[in-house]
Amino acid sequence: MNGRRILALVKVQLKALIREPTYLFMMILFPIMLTLIFGVSFGSMDSGIEGVSLFDTMAPGLLAYACIFMIMTVAQAFSDMREKGLLKRMNTTPLTSGEFMGSHVLSNTMVSVLQVILVIVISVIVGFRPNTDAGGFAVAFVLIIALAVCSVGLGLITATIAKSPGAATGIAFIFIMPQMFFGTFMPLGDATKGIAMFLPSAYVTDAIVMIFNGTPLTNPIIWFKLLTVTIIALVIIIVGVQLFKKYGSK
Amino acid sequence: MSKTKSPEDIINPDDENAIVIEGLVKKFGDVLAVNDLNLEIKKGELFGLLGPNGAGKTTTINVLSGLLQPTSGTAYVGGYDVRKDLKKVKELIGVCPQEASVFRYLSGRENIELFGSLHGMSKKEVKERTENLLEVANFTETSKRKAKGYSGGMSRQLNLLIALISNPTIAFLDEPTVGMDPRARRKTWEFISSLKNQNKTVILTTHYIEEAEALSDRVGIIDYGELIALGPPKELMKEHGAKNLEEVFLKITGRRILEGV
Repeated sequence: MNGRRILALVKVQLKALIREPTYLFMMILFPIMLTLIFGVSFGSMDSGIEGVSLFDTMAPGLLAYACIFMIMTVAQAFSDMREKGLLKRMNTTPLTSGEFMGSHVLSNTMVSVLQVILVIVISVIVGFRPNTDAGGFAVAFVLIIALAVCSVGLGLITATIAKSPGAATGIAFIFIMPQMFFGTFMPLGDATKGIAMFLPSAYVTDAIVMIFNGTPLTNPIIWFKLLTVTIIALVIIIVGVQLFKKYGSK
Repeated sequence: MSKTKSPEDIINPDDENAIVIEGLVKKFGDVLAVNDLNLEIKKGELFGLLGPNGAGKTTTINVLSGLLQPTSGTAYVGGYDVRKDLKKVKELIGVCPQEASVFRYLSGRENIELFGSLHGMSKKEVKERTENLLEVANFTETSKRKAKGYSGGMSRQLNLLIALISNPTIAFLDEPTVGMDPRARRKTWEFISSLKNQNKTVILTTHYIEEAEALSDRVGIIDYGELIALGPPKELMKEHGAKNLEEVFLKITGRRILEGV
């Protein structure tokens, strides 16, 4: 592993975030807009629990919601690099696939951390008051990072299937939609709870809801959910990297 | 455990060859893209690989640069076997692909610097080499702009500069002037010629006859994956009683190189 190579690629990927309007919108502006709209619309609506607004129940899910869209941007980025011959070109340098994939996991993790900070800050501005301490926030960050790794893996699987960046956008929604509707802040019925068992975003949202509602970090359910999502993340990223290396990079 | 070949281990230790291709075959399904290619390219030589579209030029370059595994046979680049010592091969080479493969949201300079870093160069080395390349290619001003605003010719120039950032011992230039206007093409020819003075081995694929004639010390004419003629351009013309390499190709195959273009 060569740190200089990884750092150079991370810098390039972060520049794409700033310079490419689609990525900037999906990764930064969209979560900000969504948090503001939901905060203003539901901040004063009663959730049925005393002292808890409807937005208070939604805010943790918004954190996962923002991260899920990373599937699309990762898929687009990889398909685009493949289409433009950049993957091939990089493959003629001493860059290893581990360094290349590692740089993407790192840059997307950084973006997800930025998203969490933005969503939390804006949520607090519009009235959200999470009932937790620094330790709770730290665990919430770790949960989101695990979800970001899942999203990178699913993005790689999408890029493997998709033949072009345009197709990648459409195919990404196969992974985005179920997680969006059944694994974030949408109210779940009994039937959909079964589906949520297979969605990493559902575990992340549940755990963050518990943390932000003041559940002590000693509660084993939080750690069970973190362990589950970490295992899912590892499986998805390994499958994604292997599939992309074998079938998606040419 | 396979022993890694050092440059001294190659077939002939006293060899002056930068590249040795031995019985190289590459098939894509039933399609034979390269058929039993045997070729030696000397260190410091500017070698032109000439042939119509689909002749097997790019496939050969892709095998030599490690992008494709040979079906059978092998090749040694800088003394290293492309089947076994790809990591070492990649440290020696610079590749200018046929299509301008650049990050469009980066400036020209950022693109060049990125590939310098990917080659493991230090920050200082990357800066110095980039400055030098941009100055020599008269690309300094253009390099400040984002690549998405470049014309086709500018993108191709950038494509070439990226291939040379690592100061490679061996450079593979796959159709580097396609799509350039005549003036830009002439300028690029001068630039490619200057690489010879730096004692670099350059493998240039092209279907532009005049380009191969003007630049190459030797040319290999390839058709249907087979090497059908090899030698210095003037000698080949003399040998076949032809006015140019196009006529050489015509006399050997009964077809014109540019027919398939």
